[in-house]
Amino acid sequence: MSKDYAVIGKNVPKIDGREKATGAAKYAGDLKFPNMLFGKILTSPHAHAKILSIDTSEAEKLPGVKAVITHKDVPALKYGISPARWDENIFCIDKVRFVGDKVAAVACIDEETCYKALKLIKVEYEVLPAVLDALHAMDEGAPQVHDEYPRNINTEIHQNFGDLDKAMAEAHYIRKDYFVGQRTYQSPIEPHSAVSIWKDNKLTIYSSTQSPHYFQYYIAREFGLKMGDVRIIKPFVGGGFGGKLEPTGLEFAGSVLAKLTGRPVRTFYDRHEMFAHNRGRHKVYMELTTGVDKEGKILGVHANFVSDGGAYTSLGVATSYYAGGLLTLTYEFENYKFDMIRVYTNLPACGAQRGHGAPQPKYAFESHLDNIAKDLGIDPLEIRLRNARQPNTVTINDFGINSCELTACLEKAADISGWREKKGNLPKGRGIGIATGSFVSGAGYPIYRNDLPQSAAMIKVHEDGTAATLYTGAVDIGQGSDTALCQMAAEAMGYRYENMKIIAADTETTPHDFGAYSSRQTLMSGSACKQAGEEIKKQILDIASTIMSLPPDDLDCRLGIIFSKSRPTAKTITFEEAARRFFVLRGPLLGRGVYHVPRLGGTFKGAAVATSPAYSFCAQISEVQIDEETGEVDVCEVWDVHDCGQVINPMQLHGQVHGALYMGVGEAIWEEVLFDDQGKIQNPNLGGYMLPTALDMPIVHSELVESYEPAGPWGVKEVGEGATNPTMGCFNNAIYDAMGVRIDSLPLTYEKVWRAMKEKREGKKEV
Amino acid sequence: MYLPDFDYYAPDSLAETCEALERFGAKAKVLSGGTDIIIKMKSGLLSPEVLISLKKLEDLKKIDYVSKKGVVIGALSTHNDLVNSKILNDRYLSVSEAAHNMASNQIRNIGTVGGNLCNAVPSADLPPILIALGATIKLVGTKGERVMLLEDLFTGPMKTVIAENEILTEIVIPDQSSTGSNYIKFGLRRSGALAVVGIAVAVTVNGGTITEAKIAIGAAAPTPIRAREAEKFLQGKTISDDLLAEAGVIASGESKPISDIRGSAEYRRDLIRVLTRRALYKAINEGHV
Ligand SMILES: Cc1cc2nc3c(=O)[nH]c(=O)nc-3n(C[C@H](O)[C@H](O)[C@H](O)COP(=O)(O)OP(=O)(O)OC[C@H]3O[C@@H](n4cnc5c(N)ncnc54)[C@H](O)[C@@H]3O)c2cc1C
Repeated sequence: MSKDYAVIGKNVPKIDGREKATGAAKYAGDLKFPNMLFGKILTSPHAHAKILSIDTSEAEKLPGVKAVITHKDVPALKYGISPARWDENIFCIDKVRFVGDKVAAVACIDEETCYKALKLIKVEYEVLPAVLDALHAMDEGAPQVHDEYPRNINTEIHQNFGDLDKAMAEAHYIRKDYFVGQRTYQSPIEPHSAVSIWKDNKLTIYSSTQSPHYFQYYIAREFGLKMGDVRIIKPFVGGGFGGKLEPTGLEFAGSVLAKLTGRPVRTFYDRHEMFAHNRGRHKVYMELTTGVDKEGKILGVHANFVSDGGAYTSLGVATSYYAGGLLTLTYEFENYKFDMIRVYTNLPACGAQRGHGAPQPKYAFESHLDNIAKDLGIDPLEIRLRNARQPNTVTINDFGINSCELTACLEKAADISGWREKKGNLPKGRGIGIATGSFVSGAGYPIYRNDLPQSAAMIKVHEDGTAATLYTGAVDIGQGSDTALCQMAAEAMGYRYENMKIIAADTETTPHDFGAYSSRQTLMSGSACKQAGEEIKKQILDIASTIMSLPPDDLDCRLGIIFSKSRPTAKTITFEEAARRFFVLRGPLLGRGVYHVPRLGGTFKGAAVATSPAYSFCAQISEVQIDEETGEVDVCEVWDVHDCGQVINPMQLHGQVHGALYMGVGEAIWEEVLFDDQGKIQNPNLGGYMLPTALDMPIVHSELVESYEPAGPWGVKEVGEGATNPTMGCFNNAIYDAMGVRIDSLPLTYEKVWRAMKEKREGKKEV
Repeated sequence: MYLPDFDYYAPDSLAETCEALERFGAKAKVLSGGTDIIIKMKSGLLSPEVLISLKKLEDLKKIDYVSKKGVVIGALSTHNDLVNSKILNDRYLSVSEAAHNMASNQIRNIGTVGGNLCNAVPSADLPPILIALGATIKLVGTKGERVMLLEDLFTGPMKTVIAENEILTEIVIPDQSSTGSNYIKFGLRRSGALAVVGIAVAVTVNGGTITEAKIAIGAAAPTPIRAREAEKFLQGKTISDDLLAEAGVIASGESKPISDIRGSAEYRRDLIRVLTRRALYKAINEGHV
């Protein structure tokens, strides 16, 4: 970031750091209101069953129980976050579709009474055969999860760009590989909670949400309320990673309970319930066929995927399009066919998880590309350099790329990791791998069709000029957007970060923004904040010109000091003085900003998904040490080099890379949600679901390359999700380099590595 | 997750504790650190009407060396007590290390040795190393006390010989003729992981010869087991790489592991082969670590 900036490009204390570090910060589950009740949801013990009857009479008699509700007490209108497939009910009406599906709820004077009351609700089920295997969901005669979707097909995509047949016919070499991903869960530290208050026809919900806007829109729709009568407030949030983007039973059931009882109701998930609600990463079955020329230049790719969506759609339509859509970003090729089917199964619904749709296909493609490189005798770094996307290009599926420093990322990653010295020279058991990634800097289109701007912002300067409050709908869920946006606002105003206050993510007090997903806020919300700041600056310079008797064009403001550009010795005045004067003469000093995305993308079916004003790029190299006898994988070191445009806050940026890598490392080696043959989760807790611990983390080197993105404010673009993208493929390639075995399913567990080495020794498997 | 209602007693003396257990019979359970039992109660696996806490039995929270007897570990010693005990660090670092590699620091601060043994899960980390060192235990009940080898405590997964009115009060690691011991836990991550397999060995080496070897394995069968064939095979033999490798093969053959979410039986058997060899090597070359 250029030295010309006073506030951005610098590490500043996080605006909420003190509150969080001291424990003063209040999360949704910490909130208490007078007369507040506790609500809990009764869920299905069966993967697939008809509901024959529900008897709530015993529960209602229990002292302390204030309300018991079932589908009879709530709207029957189906909801969902993907408008094309609204398929969820607040409570199941005739059947349950996974272990954990919502059946009834209670509101009680305390938590303990809730559990007792839940036990007293008698539900009679007729158990139905369940679909637990995505690959057989489409079979003739397979049980139907939803009657409306024959053969359990939830989403079907067939896209064809260029002339793949011709490319394959001309190819020097064609290779086909098959890989399988796994179900993972976001596992945010903070469990989901909501406090619902329904008073005088107005519904207020404090929720651990990534998007007050989508919550407001869908909750208003469900209850037939005007959006203006639904207020969603985001308290502090302890992580979302895609899992808190859509309203859940907590808000829907909580609202009804609040309405019936006339009291605030707190609803919440425990860790097991979080795993059951899920909305984590889809398990994708991935067949890839690629044709290349003699030099390893990719001529054409066919991606043929099936994914296990679980019992409901959640964000799965978009996930499915992303899975293939984003594969065209990092490498340039002109012929591409993408087939994908997302099926329903009787398992928890999958949705968007950090890197939305991209990481598993990337794992497959990066492993596949290494196979091709090996077959052709080309170095893995070299084959990537030969195919790397260049700036100012358009992908075959019509995504416009402005800035792109992928080549520089690859070169730098190679340099700092010592790739060229290490490759081929490491002792047995030690290996080095490489992979690339890219991600949107904000989805080009909102989740449901509308013409609202992506983001709006407002700044109000305090009457005496000693503080300024940024009002933004942007959602800080721990990633630090409140801090970055205040830096951006202060820079644009010519003000000091230390004097900024922020009110964010409250649909009643802050202007519209779609929220924290698709790595959109620094670019999109940042654009709106910058514009609002510039509007303040314009007005402050205007009033200053009358005070200083200098033309406004000659004035500028930096860190709260207004000065003449042409006359460095002219007397300066402070922002405070000017702002106070402004208020006295002209009233409140307000700035407004709004950001619209220009029209993006092609016209084919699904063309909107994965469009973005800008794309980040990155290269990762990782080094592993494999225990040749036990298969234990030691993830020693990772080098991540990112092209994320200009940087607003370096420390937060590297924090995002570390966090994304942490999740990527976990998904690469350890994490998987496991089910028994009845569709029950076998590891719905942090003892059984193997998130890496601090001791398991590799040494991380996070580095940047110089880049400027014309579509972003001050040249910024994405960082938060991109670094999850290459990681799984990168580790798989490192394991291959170490041991000569290719693990074709995630996670790359010790046992899988052990088994692959054993099979190789016994000559069972050609690699 | 909800803890069902129960009555709670915290008797002041061992005698009262045993009397209370006798009085409530099958309705009651002993509560020590609670890191196993409370979780089982929350998830509905157990619902005792009465919990009898041992927390006032201060005498059971100690680690002493008693000459002619050995190292005496009170049942209420926590894992971190084992980690930090100077007596254990000096004499059997292998025990401190085994405790150090368990669970997480929070759990190590409240989970107890007694609970780890009495809980009797096949993957528990402390039984193998204590068995390899020939530890004995004392059970005290209303009708008196009995002392037995730790390895005779276990009868199946979560099953022991402890009677309803008995509690385990102490573990004794007798003075050793062994020259080296250690425990290798194979977990799927570096902290907070249960053992896929756990191998403990204690060896007595004289010149280049193994005069005695004890091998105890966790997560290899319904209870912790001794690999007696492998032990017999090693006895009196001259140390060589091949010898230790062969002992691993034999120990692996003696194991009867199951497949679960942490690993297949096939994988476990191979891990036992490899890790038995490594544990022996380490015990021979590095002493009691
Ligand atoms: C997150 C987590 C991680 C864990 N990781 C590990 C691990 O890595 N390795 C491992 O081995 N274990 C692990 N455990 C299991 C557990 O912490 C240990 O087994 C611990 O030692 C149990 O001791 P406690 O005092 O908490 O037992 P409690 O829960 O109090 O008791 C366990 C059982 O033993 C009985 N009992 C306890 N003391 C006595 C006594 N003196 N006499 C008679 N009966 C008694 C109780 O009635 C109960 O049935 C883990 C647990 C958790 C929650």
